[in-house]
Amino acid sequence: MSYLLTSGSVGINSIVNRFISSFSVLLFGILSILVVSSCSKDPIRPNPGPIDPPSDDSTTFSKGFFIVNEGNFNWGNASVTYIDNSTGTAHQNVFQEVNHRPLGDVAQSMKIMNSRGYIVINASNRVEVVDLKDFKTIKSIEGFNSPRYIEFVDSTKAYVTNLYKDISVVDLVTMTITKTIQTPEWTEGMVKYNNYMFVTCIGEFTEPSSKRKAKLLILDTKEDKIIDSIPTATEPIGIVIDKKMKLWVLCSGGWDGYAAPALIRVNPDLRQVEKAFSFSSADIPSRLDINPSRDTIYYLQNGIYQMPVTASSAPSQPLVSSANHLFYGMAIHPVDGTIFATDAIDYVQSGDAFQYSSSTGAQLNSWETGRIPSSFCFGETQISKK
Amino acid sequence: MTGIGNHFREPLFLILLLIATCNAASGQHIQDTLKLKEVEVKASFQIHNEGFKEVRLDSTILLPRLDAKLSTILSQYSTVFIKSYGANNLATPAFRGTTAHHTIIEWNGININSPMLGQIDLSMLPVAQFQGVEILYGAAGLSRNSGAFGGIINLKTSPDWNNRLNLIVSQTLASFHNYTTTLYTEVGNKNFQSHTRVNINTGKNDFPFYNDYTGQREKLTNGAYTQYGFSEDIFGKINNKHLITARVWYNYSDRDNPPQTVNITPYYAENMKENSFRSLVEYKYIHRKFSGTISSALLYNHLHYMSNTDDTKHQYYSFVNRISGNYTGFDKVTIRPGIDLKYDWVNSEKYTSRKQRNVLGGFIEINYAPADAVTFTLMARNDVVDGELMPFIPAVGVEVKPFRKINLSLSANLSRNYSYPSLNDLYWELWGNPELVPEVNYAAEGGITWNLLNPSKSFFIETELSAYYMLMQDMIVWSPTTTSSLIWKPENISEVLSRGIEAGINSTIVFWKSNLDINVTYNYCRSTYEKETNPNGSSVGKQLIYTPIHTMNASLRFEKRGYYFSYLFHFIGRRYLSKENVEYMPGYNLSNIFLGKSFQMKDFMLSLQLEINNLFGLDYQSIAYSPMPGRNFGITLRGNFKKKSGQ
Repeated sequence: MSYLLTSGSVGINSIVNRFISSFSVLLFGILSILVVSSCSKDPIRPNPGPIDPPSDDSTTFSKGFFIVNEGNFNWGNASVTYIDNSTGTAHQNVFQEVNHRPLGDVAQSMKIMNSRGYIVINASNRVEVVDLKDFKTIKSIEGFNSPRYIEFVDSTKAYVTNLYKDISVVDLVTMTITKTIQTPEWTEGMVKYNNYMFVTCIGEFTEPSSKRKAKLLILDTKEDKIIDSIPTATEPIGIVIDKKMKLWVLCSGGWDGYAAPALIRVNPDLRQVEKAFSFSSADIPSRLDINPSRDTIYYLQNGIYQMPVTASSAPSQPLVSSANHLFYGMAIHPVDGTIFATDAIDYVQSGDAFQYSSSTGAQLNSWETGRIPSSFCFGETQISKK
Repeated sequence: MTGIGNHFREPLFLILLLIATCNAASGQHIQDTLKLKEVEVKASFQIHNEGFKEVRLDSTILLPRLDAKLSTILSQYSTVFIKSYGANNLATPAFRGTTAHHTIIEWNGININSPMLGQIDLSMLPVAQFQGVEILYGAAGLSRNSGAFGGIINLKTSPDWNNRLNLIVSQTLASFHNYTTTLYTEVGNKNFQSHTRVNINTGKNDFPFYNDYTGQREKLTNGAYTQYGFSEDIFGKINNKHLITARVWYNYSDRDNPPQTVNITPYYAENMKENSFRSLVEYKYIHRKFSGTISSALLYNHLHYMSNTDDTKHQYYSFVNRISGNYTGFDKVTIRPGIDLKYDWVNSEKYTSRKQRNVLGGFIEINYAPADAVTFTLMARNDVVDGELMPFIPAVGVEVKPFRKINLSLSANLSRNYSYPSLNDLYWELWGNPELVPEVNYAAEGGITWNLLNPSKSFFIETELSAYYMLMQDMIVWSPTTTSSLIWKPENISEVLSRGIEAGINSTIVFWKSNLDINVTYNYCRSTYEKETNPNGSSVGKQLIYTPIHTMNASLRFEKRGYYFSYLFHFIGRRYLSKENVEYMPGYNLSNIFLGKSFQMKDFMLSLQLEINNLFGLDYQSIAYSPMPGRNFGITLRGNFKKKSGQ
């Protein structure tokens, strides 16, 4: 192009002009080469970055436990972290690594039955069934209405709670939804007692806490029908059963802080609330679990609180203070009783998981997780023979 | 010489000469260049803005793209990065490593960002409704509006006093049931001009894509939209001393938002219905050494958002008033003072009560040119928000043209700017935080522009290179509170350092009675987190999520005897999806081509144009799990009747 410049310019002008135009053309050329060479014909999809799969191919995913990473809503970045107990190392993103596709949008929870993992994917409306031998997907069960948790009725049947409309009855053999039990409102946690499933029901999802009608639904697991209900405090988000066969229900008071949080004790035979512990409403409690001997309950309310089922009042100090953490998930190991908790950091990067001693509250272990670690799955679910 | 398209004042002697000899502002590139002899000079890199960077996109680019949205044009022709959620779906701007609310979109100088969100969806701004785009980088727009750390994008319409009648009817039929109709009337005489513009855009957007999640080839669902707009601009002039402008712009849109590929809800529904009405009245008095402008704008917006979990209505009014002056009576000094008064009123179902905000601002811009080749600029602004005095906003700039015969200009500026929290940040129910303070930005910038028109006027080239360095502090981030991870609040907790280089080359060559344009822009941007919002995080020094380090646009346009061909190339580098920069979206490039023929019949011109987007059928996503269309087509038929004075 520079020949075009020669006719009119002389001396320094000409030199400067030539220099810049040559420089421009050169820059253009370099950029074109750079860009063209960086082209790829592969589909442009989110890349999880470097993955560290279990080094040993014979890993069966049965010698450790799982951390379910919820992921950001609408980002499709839910994942499962596998912690190998023998080495103590964390393997991120095991589902995608094995199945070569994303796990989905917002993984809510996971449970294991008969060497199969059931991962409930809330915003994707799926329950992903994986074989624990290799974590390969066996089937993606579809047709849920924003599923939350799965609970096994027996080795062939499970219930899945949903944010909307109903509770899904899943046949574990055919891996299909065989029936839906209409519930006008959002159902959440479940506990099986005799032939009944006790399900916390928060209220209409789209309504503010002041309008929601919270209750405990009682389902007959033989007929898959709601047979009774018990009103509870606002937003019952968690339920466990203790050794004396009493139900404990954690009521957060509402995400919008509408009511004071409460922990209530329910007699499942009389279908009555027997006791209610109210908490400080400064912090909203979020997770509830019970130890293996079913005599001590734990809940997350900023810090992790420990409370014997025989206590006459709620503890005033946490066993594990949140210190510089912002705990998001919490669970108790079903065998050794240690405390597990997660920190989602700022929700836009990998989180952390921690293990604490249940006697001293001291930290025992920590692992890096995926995005927004929220729940744990420790192994085969024992069907209660209660 | 025929009317050479030049909408804009050109700074250079050569170009001034050109302008003097041709009839101003024709705007019809295709028509004008049918009888090509010389290069059409349209310097888009401004070198007379006294040390601050400004880039312009004119009707040469916009006219063949009447069916497009501002988002598409900016992503294809500028260094502004557009985060797009899909074809005709939500698109937000970010330049220089800042976020959408650090970019102010103006309509003829009036900020039209939503006071609730502090930003605006660029897919709601159809190209049919404006004639030119001014992009003011960094501190360049600081005297006009505070808070635009990235810059200001001004959508302009202006009168051509030589126009008698300019009528455009354009119809586009595009893939996936997308249709656009544009009607455009400019009529008037040397003292009065009226512009009427109508756009009707509808689309189903039911494009096929491969869903990795379901492992099936699917069609996009819930992606339909309808949008129509009407605007009327009236320009009046008395004795070349009084200029009166009145404008209205009404826009309606009804848009479904498609689900992401990982969301397979059978009853998925998300819809936004938006009505917006904008009006602006302006009076300008022009005297020999003084000009003064009074303007008043009323903006109204009503949004109805519906989804499976939400059904809320939001409305706001903004009343924007400005008085400004320009005095050149002092030796070597130009003074431009002014006062702004802005009143926002919001009624949202997500606020506990109606909220208002008053912003009173005073600003001044002083240019001092001690010598022909040197200009210093001082800009200053101070706002009072709801009776509270905000920090002082200053900028200084310098521009030097070291050579007499070489159109080379060096510029540099330093600035401090403040961005006020959006009303959602302050007042969103339960979660808004009224304690927020303004975000602050310290910026330094330098640039070189150069251009050349060869004596035989067969070749024009301009280049631009600029570098910037910005430190943004007290950045507002929504994060979980310490009392509960379920409650999120915005807080002034983040710090971002953004530095980068922008380079651009435009050239035009006339040969063999044909015209060749080549435009290239390249953008390097390192924008990093500098402060951890959580002590356990590991994001310090890492690139902002969804902010590409490299972006590049190139376009080539060839034209001969009414036939034209354009090739657009658009490259976006890797964008990270996590703050610690592990997950990412791979970089990709897209190619689009335009083929057209214009038939000139006296005052009437008929153009037929074929466009092919995503030429190589790249299977891509720009936002994770938001599918984008593969190769797609559009056919546009455009009729243009035009009569000018003296014809």
